[in-house]
Amino acid sequence: MMPLARLLTFCLSIAIAVPASARPVTDDTGRSVNIPDTPRRIVVLHEPLLGIPLMDLGVEIIGAYGRGDAGELLSAVDFTRATLGDGAQSALPRGIGPFGNINIERLRALEPDLIIGTEYDAAQADLLSTIAPVYLQNTGSGRVRGFEVESDLAGLLKREKALEARKAPYEARVDTLTDEVTNALPGNRFLAVIVHDQINLVGNTSGMVQALEDLGLKREDIEGSVSNAPGSNFAAPISAELFMQLDPALLVLMNSYMDTAQGEAAVRARLDRIAPGWDRFMKPAREGRILYLDPAQVTSPTVASAEHTLTAISDWLSAQE
Amino acid sequence: MRLTRALDTRPVLRFEGGLDLRLGNLAAGFGLALAILATALWSITSGNTPVGLSDLISGELSEEQRFALMYGRLPRLLLGLMAGWCLAIAGAMLQSLTQNPLADPGLLGLSQGSMITIMVLLLFLPTAPAALIPVAGLVGGLLLLVILRLLLGGNVADGLAILLMGIALDTVLSAITALLVLYTPTEISMAVSTWLAGSLYLSNWPQVLGLSPWAALSFPILVFGAPILRPLDLGDDRATAIGLNLTRVKPVLLLAAVLLTSTAVSAVGPIVFLGVMAPHLAQFLSAATGRARLILSGLMGGWLVLLADLIVRTGATETTIPLGLALTLLGVPLFVITLRLRMLRILLQS
Repeated sequence: MMPLARLLTFCLSIAIAVPASARPVTDDTGRSVNIPDTPRRIVVLHEPLLGIPLMDLGVEIIGAYGRGDAGELLSAVDFTRATLGDGAQSALPRGIGPFGNINIERLRALEPDLIIGTEYDAAQADLLSTIAPVYLQNTGSGRVRGFEVESDLAGLLKREKALEARKAPYEARVDTLTDEVTNALPGNRFLAVIVHDQINLVGNTSGMVQALEDLGLKREDIEGSVSNAPGSNFAAPISAELFMQLDPALLVLMNSYMDTAQGEAAVRARLDRIAPGWDRFMKPAREGRILYLDPAQVTSPTVASAEHTLTAISDWLSAQE
Repeated sequence: MRLTRALDTRPVLRFEGGLDLRLGNLAAGFGLALAILATALWSITSGNTPVGLSDLISGELSEEQRFALMYGRLPRLLLGLMAGWCLAIAGAMLQSLTQNPLADPGLLGLSQGSMITIMVLLLFLPTAPAALIPVAGLVGGLLLLVILRLLLGGNVADGLAILLMGIALDTVLSAITALLVLYTPTEISMAVSTWLAGSLYLSNWPQVLGLSPWAALSFPILVFGAPILRPLDLGDDRATAIGLNLTRVKPVLLLAAVLLTSTAVSAVGPIVFLGVMAPHLAQFLSAATGRARLILSGLMGGWLVLLADLIVRTGATETTIPLGLALTLLGVPLFVITLRLRMLRILLQS
């Protein structure tokens, strides 16, 4: 009996000692990284852009930038809860230091086996690589579009099936809504704007843009716009004068996510201050071709955000009838 | 070596070779060195991973402790010390050069020159290797020097002209910086804004090695440049009367200040006011000229940055306190107190 017990102990110790198999991948900045085949302790350096797509795929993250030591949010808006609702992971990701100041000791204490950052984290990649493999994923407009970030991460972590399962009901809803949208919006152009202290065109990296484009709508082409310039993840300013001259088939309006008040009244009040009379001057406003969205729900590059957009479109179409 | 008294009755050590060391300067230097040592020990034993003095003395460090020291605390400490040393020495040199106690690398636009080129690099090539940042900072500083030289024309030796042109350039470059931050994507401009407020959090050994030669440049400056500062402090006329060729000396000293500033800025970001504050605080500790003034200023600058970084690291764990802000919070009250004390001292003496 003893030799068998020893053999079992030996086999067990071998199983524990041998690290999970790793495979080489090239990240979006061209770095070669060896990542574990099945990473179990992932830390993300941008929760809305990287953490939410992973959670949407059913991947749990153990740490994220922008959270406190106990997992409490350090920012005003909970993009994760707003986007995923009950689908968000129950165990809060732990924080790795305040914004702009990663605490590498705290990060190491989490014992991550994979760190995923954006292309903007290239400067700190070497330092963080001393803790765990660092994979840098493109997130900026011009480099990725719609929910491509989620697709890319699904490919990286071999979660393609989870992505397909996630996309199937979404695509079914798109098929149902496309004809209705085409009939209701013959011009088929959309303009998405988020209003902070100024009016900003929304970039291409979001579930919202994916949903609108999947419904057959095309982005309003604005001459001189920088919204498609590489590097612009989310928003690029546009003058109030130019904004008021535009006549897209669908005007998508979002209030600043820093504002606790969301919805039609809040965004209208903010726009009234920046572009007084916009609702009397702009054709989409006069004709009721405005879709009001909550940026915390629709701006992550996920299928979940795209679904929120479809729900809003569906509600808007119902209201038109 | 004999102990005598200087003309102002203060004790001075005179060596055979002609070297004079004021005892007050010596004591202040030792005091600052001790303060740096104590702060450094406090800094490397503070953080998430417990590292005690006994661990350091015994040398028996766990893997976590070794990581915390080698990848986090030590590079940060050395980089902060060198950057503070360089900026304070540059500030002290500029004050002598312009004969203006308010001269600072930031005020003369030297920091802005480096900042602009580094920002352009960060904004338009965000994935560029980090090794390019010091190069960009240096190029920016030198470009600014060339522009300053062109604008000064025949007035290269005029301290007031250097100061006024520097302020004008600084104003223009500040406006460009603001524009760049305003019209860039939020995620980039946030990172740039963090860097603009000064930061040591990404310190690493390549950065330490990168800044070391430039910090070492301060030693030839101390040996050959510092003695020139003493006559410059007396004014241009007297310096010329002593035989100093100002049109040759001032641009060279300005170049040295640019090199020290650019490399320090590229390592930790622009730290405003340190170039003014450190020399004045050092001067309050012990009145000094020439080499002693530069050394005391450098030590004070290094110590202030170490203290500020300690506040950043340990003060608030869930809030980012930029290094520049911590330095201001720490240094300005010290600055005000020393000014008041100096005024009180003058009043009592009179």
